[in-house]
Amino acid sequence: MKRQILAGNFLASPWIVTFLAFWLFPLFYSFFLGFTDFRLMRPDYNWVGWENYINLFRDKAFIEALINTFIFVIGTIPFTTVIALILALLVEKKIPGQALFRSGYFVPSITSMVVIALVFTNLYSRDGYLFLLAKMLGMHPPENGFLLSSKTALLSIMAMDIWMSVGYYMLIFLAGLKAIPEELYEAASVAGASGRQKFLHITLPLLNPVTVFVIVINSIKSFQVFTEIYVMTKGKYGTSSAVYFIYESGLNRFEFGYASAAAYLLFVIIAIFSILQLGLMQRKHY
Amino acid sequence: MKAVRLIALSLVLALMIFPLLWMFRVSLMPPGAGLSLEELISPALSLLPYQDILTSGKMALFFFNSLLVGVVVTVANILFCFLSGYAFARHPFPGRRFWFYSVLFVLMIPSHIVIVPLYIMLHKLGMYDTYWALILPFAVNPIGIFLVRQYLETLPTSMEEAARIDGASELQIIFKVVMPLCKPALAVLAIQVFLTNWNSFLFPLIFTSSESVRTLPVALALYQGHQAIDWSHLMAGSSLAVIPVLAVFLVFQRQIVSGITAGAVRQ
Repeated sequence: MKRQILAGNFLASPWIVTFLAFWLFPLFYSFFLGFTDFRLMRPDYNWVGWENYINLFRDKAFIEALINTFIFVIGTIPFTTVIALILALLVEKKIPGQALFRSGYFVPSITSMVVIALVFTNLYSRDGYLFLLAKMLGMHPPENGFLLSSKTALLSIMAMDIWMSVGYYMLIFLAGLKAIPEELYEAASVAGASGRQKFLHITLPLLNPVTVFVIVINSIKSFQVFTEIYVMTKGKYGTSSAVYFIYESGLNRFEFGYASAAAYLLFVIIAIFSILQLGLMQRKHY
Repeated sequence: MKAVRLIALSLVLALMIFPLLWMFRVSLMPPGAGLSLEELISPALSLLPYQDILTSGKMALFFFNSLLVGVVVTVANILFCFLSGYAFARHPFPGRRFWFYSVLFVLMIPSHIVIVPLYIMLHKLGMYDTYWALILPFAVNPIGIFLVRQYLETLPTSMEEAARIDGASELQIIFKVVMPLCKPALAVLAIQVFLTNWNSFLFPLIFTSSESVRTLPVALALYQGHQAIDWSHLMAGSSLAVIPVLAVFLVFQRQIVSGITAGAVRQ
């Protein structure tokens, strides 16, 4: 028995070491740093209490980044979720080319975000195809392309993100749809239910846990939006996000204390948001 | 009705794959060609952009770095996640519950929180700007442990017990009996870890600075920062980043899908 105990600890040690060194310690370290004025190239640093946090709320750049992040999360998730669900319902039924449609929709989401962002940087630019398309449709896109205007830059990045991730969530919805027992639909048909009724009273309620899962993981991911902003606008034209702000202050200006405080604030916001989502959405049904 | 649905699905499909087709097309442009519609649909193809970036540019090095880091991280994850997952599923050691909760905890917390402290730590450990910085923090992924443990929970222990009665040592049981049984789960794990690592951007961006250890996505993002953008070369580099992903997708589609949906349909 003793040997088994030793063996268990030994076998799990890669994780235990990784957790302690690369997760738990950094979590505490970062929490501590948030209360100091630690910067690069400074051997001594001072305990500053809540000063970093207070300054963050007075920092226009941070507030703007935070607002943009909320716009990004709240503006993309409903669209992504609804479109993903519609696509899942459309490709679920037997249809010629079913596998091709599924794969084609899914492929953008496993492609490198850097590559996608580069491609769209061109498509959104003044001589890019999306710009030309908008003109052809009689819209008046900003003169220098979608990304070089604070009116459209953030919205354009959001649209790209929706485009990229719908296929991923479609797959999750498909798995959820498959788990709904066929007998329920058959029984409903026998009872004379319409397609709409079946959708509202069988599909949606039974899919609820999957929908909650999709919304929660998508929120956690979207709150951390960074790569597309780094590649497409470098945070200019009103596109800076919370993680972009942390990157700028922590790793460009090396204000480690300040950046850590910002990171913790975002952490708390994400935690509250996730708990609220889980609570609200689980109460809605039954 | 069916025809309407097919047309709608096809239009969406065109919308979804157009950007990638555009990327491949631009990457095959002969030198000096523009990006106008006539030039895009013209049959003139050239592999010159690829030749340029692989010979005179450093793209071959960046590709190699991405591949090296991706393979090492994937192999490390297969081994370590398997051992840890096995311990969580089969060994009643003290604190097992606590350490397993730590796996779930890390699965849920947003990783931006460790950017700054890890950056400082890697500097202090002398690992900043080395391959180690790209490998060590990612060598044991909680999602991998989770996958292995869930898989083992569904597996009966009779094979292991039979081997034990036959006098096999613990090591033999682990590597000769349990590991082969876990192959399906390990395949899912390996593919997921490799793809995530291959596309990873933020951490390689901040944990390295010199070209000798730069990965492909970082190189592409930084290339774009230079003066006028040469799109056919940039898209050739981008294609190099996408082709392995597409290849993995075509071969291992089933594993990718089950990796993604493993978490969702748990309830």
